[in-house]
Amino acid sequence: MTAEIIVVTSGKGGVGKTTTSASLATGLAMAGKKVAVIDFDVGLRNLDLIMGCERRVVYDFVNVVHGEATLKQSLIKDKRYENLFVLAASQTRDKDALTQEGVEKVLDSLSEEGFDYVICDSPAGIEKGAHLAMYFADKAVVVVNPEVSSVRDSDRILGLLASKTRRAERGEGQVTQHLLLTRYNPARVAIGEMLSVTDVEDILGIKVVGVIPESENVLTASNNGVPVIVDTASPAGQAYSDTVARILGEERPLRFIDVPKKGFLQRVFGG
Amino acid sequence: MNAKTETTDACDLRFGQVGIACVRVRRVDAAALCEELERRVRAAPQMFSRAAVVLDLSHLLQLPDDGTVDALLEAVRSAGMLPVGLAYGTSETEALASRMGLPLIAKFRAAYEPAAATPAAETRAPEPVARPEPILAPPEAGHPLGAQHHDGSVRSGQQIYARDRDLIVTGAIANGAEVIADGNIHIYGGLRGRAMAGAQGDEKARIYVSDFRAELVAIAGQYRVFEQIPDDLEGRSVQCWLEGEKLLIAKL
Repeated sequence: MTAEIIVVTSGKGGVGKTTTSASLATGLAMAGKKVAVIDFDVGLRNLDLIMGCERRVVYDFVNVVHGEATLKQSLIKDKRYENLFVLAASQTRDKDALTQEGVEKVLDSLSEEGFDYVICDSPAGIEKGAHLAMYFADKAVVVVNPEVSSVRDSDRILGLLASKTRRAERGEGQVTQHLLLTRYNPARVAIGEMLSVTDVEDILGIKVVGVIPESENVLTASNNGVPVIVDTASPAGQAYSDTVARILGEERPLRFIDVPKKGFLQRVFGG
Repeated sequence: MNAKTETTDACDLRFGQVGIACVRVRRVDAAALCEELERRVRAAPQMFSRAAVVLDLSHLLQLPDDGTVDALLEAVRSAGMLPVGLAYGTSETEALASRMGLPLIAKFRAAYEPAAATPAAETRAPEPVARPEPILAPPEAGHPLGAQHHDGSVRSGQQIYARDRDLIVTGAIANGAEVIADGNIHIYGGLRGRAMAGAQGDEKARIYVSDFRAELVAIAGQYRVFEQIPDDLEGRSVQCWLEGEKLLIAKL
């Protein structure tokens, strides 16, 4: 049984890749899977902050790639789920510190260790780091915001996923592509300030696997080092749970895509 | 010649594409040929010195006799290039090649057969790097190569080129994507990027789109960019064609 490798990518920066990686990994772990999440953003590491393990990083991904530490030493066990592990990026190296052979070795070792899923948190851009993050992927979650520049960058990434991955090069079939719309604000969509779900699906030609509503909970959770999916009361957390379920093959209707109706009290007092 | 050695154990036999220069002889003058090629070799020794070339005799009105061909081959050699075969021409060329013990490069076949029927002297300069002549036959005559198909969408940053033929795309062309064909282009999804038909200069080439939102369309080098897509065309199925120097677009 080999681990399934899922890359979380977008092209554009700041759309919610790391937030998504953290919640996706945590969600899969909540479903009982053994999961490792790797930060490929060497030099600008963030995943450890959002996973709340930044003070426990001793060895990182680059150390393992260079053989300076073993995989066991570098995997940080999550404090909430014992079947969830984080492999942090190095903050002090530059992005050329990763090599294709090195990454392949790490991914193979994770497979041998019995991991079910490896989530690769890609850096922004289409340079080496992003290329390595997607190269070995079986599935891709392309994170997109409802605005034109993000949509165009995602389109570019979808093209690269179809041509510049190991699967494509070996002719082993397509990398399964999932489109995840984040920072969705139904109210702004309604007044035409944001692209709608249908707009984005039309332009990119694929269906979304989930829509994450824009919400303050995301920022609060990130700042507290808690993946937002853990916050089961928040709409964003619930939307991530739905998304994880869909990636695992379940069918769930899209939620949080319409303008929420305000209750009587909210209308009176504002909300 | 070496059929005996072609056993599966001793070697692999593979077809591969190689770039090879083609010397198109326009008049039978070994001395002039040698001089001309020497000049080329001197000008770009890295490119042409000891370069493998094929000799193309199809533009001569009459196939020269064996002795003359020998002299021409010798002229090429003394200029510093290495003739490795003859370009495909008529059955006479084939007979000549077998008498010379040289291979006939069949790759040039498609491009040269129509030329062989009307061996009129062409005024174009010989191209130093050989590639098949574009077939610019109008589409109604039927493209001998058929069309190139692309299933699905063309993503931003991708480029598809159908050389010497039509291009059919079943999906959408995204913003920042490019589809190019030497023949016609048919797009059965949305065109948000660029489409360029008749890339080698075929003015009869056309572009057909079922959902028009293009950034740019071009036919035979005449192009139109759309900062704002006209309301009557946006999202419609259209065709684009060339009338004189004017690129026209109309709803279908």
